[in-house]
Amino acid sequence: MRTTLRRVAVGLSLAALTATAAACGSATANDDAAAGGTEAPAASALDGKGEVSIDFWHAMSGKNGAALQQLTDQFNAKNKGRVKVNLQFKNTYDDTLSAYKAALNSGQAPDVVQVYDIGTRFMIDSKSTVPIQSFVDVDKTDTSDIQPNIAGYYSVDGKLYSMPFNTSMPLLYLNKTAFTKAGLDPANPPKTLDEITEAARKLTVKDAGGRVTQYGFGAALYGWFLEQWTAAGNQEYCDQGNGRDGRGTTVKLATDDHVKLLAWWKKMVDEGLAPKLDSNTTTADNAFTAGTVAMTLESTGSLGGFLTSTQGKFEIGTGNYPKINATDAGGPIIGGASLWVVGKGKDDARKRAAWEFVKFLADKDSQATWHTSTGYFPISKGALETEVDKQWVAQRPQFQTAITQLQNTPLSKATQGCLLGAMPQARKAAEQAMQAAVLSGTDPRAALQQQEQAMTGPIKEYNQSVAG
Amino acid sequence: MTAPTLTATGAPAGHVDRPPEGARRTARPARAREALLGLLFTLPGLAGLGVFVVFPLFQAVYLSTRGNDILGNPTRSVGLRHFHELLTPAFGTVLWQTLVFTVLVVVPGVLLPLSLAAPMTQRLPGMRIFRTAFALPFAYSVSAASVVWLIMLNPGVSPVNWVLGLLGLPAPNWTTEPGWAMATVVGVTVWMVSGFNLLVLAAGLAGVDEEVLEAARIDGATGPRQFVSIVLPLISPSLFFAVVTTTLTALQALGQVQIMTDGGPNGHTRTLVYSIFDNAFHNNNSNFGLASAQGLVLLVVGVLIAVVQFGVLERRVHYR
Amino acid sequence: MNRPGPLPTVLTYLWLAVAAVVLLFPVLLTVLGGFLPSNALLHQPPQLLDGHWTLENYRAAWRQPVVPLAPAFVNSLFVGVSIMLAHLVTSCLAAYALVFLRSPLRRPIFWLFLATIMVPYESIVVPNALFVRSLGINDNRLSLVLPFLASGFGVFMLRQAFRQFPRELREAAVIDGCGHLRFLLTILLPATRPALIGIAVWSFLQGWNMYFWPLIISSSNNSLNTLQTAVFALKDNEGGSPAVLLAGITITLLPTLLLVVFGQRWLVRGFTAGAVK
Repeated sequence: MRTTLRRVAVGLSLAALTATAAACGSATANDDAAAGGTEAPAASALDGKGEVSIDFWHAMSGKNGAALQQLTDQFNAKNKGRVKVNLQFKNTYDDTLSAYKAALNSGQAPDVVQVYDIGTRFMIDSKSTVPIQSFVDVDKTDTSDIQPNIAGYYSVDGKLYSMPFNTSMPLLYLNKTAFTKAGLDPANPPKTLDEITEAARKLTVKDAGGRVTQYGFGAALYGWFLEQWTAAGNQEYCDQGNGRDGRGTTVKLATDDHVKLLAWWKKMVDEGLAPKLDSNTTTADNAFTAGTVAMTLESTGSLGGFLTSTQGKFEIGTGNYPKINATDAGGPIIGGASLWVVGKGKDDARKRAAWEFVKFLADKDSQATWHTSTGYFPISKGALETEVDKQWVAQRPQFQTAITQLQNTPLSKATQGCLLGAMPQARKAAEQAMQAAVLSGTDPRAALQQQEQAMTGPIKEYNQSVAG
Repeated sequence: MTAPTLTATGAPAGHVDRPPEGARRTARPARAREALLGLLFTLPGLAGLGVFVVFPLFQAVYLSTRGNDILGNPTRSVGLRHFHELLTPAFGTVLWQTLVFTVLVVVPGVLLPLSLAAPMTQRLPGMRIFRTAFALPFAYSVSAASVVWLIMLNPGVSPVNWVLGLLGLPAPNWTTEPGWAMATVVGVTVWMVSGFNLLVLAAGLAGVDEEVLEAARIDGATGPRQFVSIVLPLISPSLFFAVVTTTLTALQALGQVQIMTDGGPNGHTRTLVYSIFDNAFHNNNSNFGLASAQGLVLLVVGVLIAVVQFGVLERRVHYR
Repeated sequence: MNRPGPLPTVLTYLWLAVAAVVLLFPVLLTVLGGFLPSNALLHQPPQLLDGHWTLENYRAAWRQPVVPLAPAFVNSLFVGVSIMLAHLVTSCLAAYALVFLRSPLRRPIFWLFLATIMVPYESIVVPNALFVRSLGINDNRLSLVLPFLASGFGVFMLRQAFRQFPRELREAAVIDGCGHLRFLLTILLPATRPALIGIAVWSFLQGWNMYFWPLIISSSNNSLNTLQTAVFALKDNEGGSPAVLLAGITITLLPTLLLVVFGQRWLVRGFTAGAVK
């Protein structure tokens, strides 16, 4: 009886496996059979098609989601009878990308998808999208309005693959009130690690019982920050010219600068100048807005939330993202997320409709609305010149720091950022090393080396999986 | 306590007598029909579980030997490579932490509610209110409990830290210190399961004869011992039930780890199930092969525990 | 009857009170926090009782357009109810067969059911996701519940309950000419109603509280958010205040909180006569 059972079981599993394989196979075949390739159609593709309805998958929640809804409604009203965009919120960036992967398999992909910066390599490798450059070439669109540093991240070999949309860069945020109280000048914030330590010594306050009531500095052990320190030092984060000359094979985690950074961070914690925080930025944000830490690192996107939640409690100042060494000559990477036009399995009308929508979102007026209602950095130079935007910045002088910081950042492979298929894992690995060094007291170099070593597997795995 | 009133059947005693002569002759076909009917009755359940639990296990075996393309579709065979990847100290740590987590959840997760339910058997005013109150954590889903506790322990605003400060105690780094992070995730899980287990154990105790309970707590010296030797066996079905369900909850726990520590700091709260999730769905991973291999390990662990619990522990349970 | 002396009584109350304060603080924070202005909540200690009540957070949580809670509520209800009904039907039948119908396969089938309890769905979520996806029902609510319509645990619970039913009484009923289905429906089920309520509540809660399956499989359709995935989406809401988060969580907890407070008698009776005793 046992053998019969086994035979039945094996038979069942084989039958089911072929069924699954067939289902997947047919979906792929359909996609290729449809008109959808990855070339950009001309404007005429929409003629005589009636109202083309397209889906847009995004990861914008809260007020960002509301602003996106507002812009989309605006676009739909303007294009009534021609294009209708359906917004679909997909939770986090991770989930959005997972859903996109799944949808490519089942042939239910959206027409436009928002993907975080570190998903760029994957999106290119998926060969499922129409590069924005193709539309630009067909339409002879003028792209000079797009901030070159922002476009830089999404360009490979001078070809723009996706349209940057929501971008942000990191800043140093300060509790101005605490600065003044400590006899520091908030208009002259620390620029290097050493200067942070110095300021933090003055900012740290203890109560009678020796308990720290205000730490000088405190930020999440967020992998993105490490990438930013690297770029600020004009260093590349992965090999092959930050993955832009060829497919990257290693993440450069165990560098002298990183060791110096983590040793410094650990020392800050040991001296009681910084609390132990994890990699979740919300926790650090709360610590800052509650007044528990006087300096923190966050993206420009958090300014609005900070201002609201600290209203009436203390004033907020900003400074350039600090540098590891005084001589560092780079600047932060302009991260965030970008919009991809899906080509696989899509007919020309849909591709064109998607491009029209993407173009609309990148336009200076849309970007001004987007910037002023979300706090994300506008990708359009012109947006900063609009009246509404100027007013907004005037009310929030803290944002001026970001604009200046961007203008002062040279565009190089280092500040373009690392492109790597396994970049999401690499960010996580960096966080593991940061946590090991700062929280568990592992030797920084050993912690970084261990994670650098650990990353070679997933990178190889990814590079192999691209080949199939 | 036996099942509720059975008078409805109203079976006269005479009917329980041995069946008449003729019954023995029809025994064989009746047996067959009964067996067939038994199969028929179990079929819906078997079908549902077969398609969505048993069959996927075979698929998991298949997937565990495959590499995949960037969309996660299985491709070339990689043999036992994924299983080789499990023979590392890192995965050993994951298994160890899973065990630690499970034990640390099950023991206090059953004992704490027992220590609350036992005194509540006294006929004192307000006990029902206490029972309701202690059952409240049962209302929390994993995500709700995790998020609320994150707010409770958030270093910037933590009311818990504030209380510790009043007592002159230093506030631990709840989610960022390796040992504490595990303790925090364990604590939240214990909190969550305590509500359910309290109801289960209180119900069990309610079924114990009042006089036995009284006898067990007549005086402080012999009370606890009698509680262990007399009352515990009487509520052993409830205890067993609580232990089994809590073990499952702990072994399958994912939400608390993922939401509260995301496996950190530096992997110190990484459990087997978290690891599966991490490899398959997290951070744009789609290493379905490795995740499937780990899933099979989890299955083995689960079956081993089931065998121990039902083969060994259940023998000591006194069903009435 | 011996009433406990004064000292044990005091100790009992003391112990229960201390435990209540510790265990219920999160509940208090959840419920009250949602009614407080964000600032009061971020204050240390949170000014839980300072009288500045507001409904603003509830309004914000309910109205925020990105993770609408109303459809999530409907989805959660659908998941809970359909899983509950399916479990009741499949488990009653199977448990009946396992207890009352003699068959050489009875033991192996029971172990099979038991074994499925030990299979965490995380270990088979990958193949299940691939399978459900291949059915092309990504946009259908059914994909939220399909893999969970049968339950080894439900079978286990009801088997325990049915085993309490005196065998002699069943044999008597059968001899009276009572068919299996009629016996099941008219005698056994009414007699084990508390256990049925227990498993119904348990199944409902299992569906209601499910978190990762909805998150993973239905991520291709936002309209399939359940309350639990909505909580997570709210948490990562940029700039989302803890007060709004707590208000949202309270909304999602309302049904289960009410169940624990007012339906406790059913829960208790369900467990008493069900798997436990």
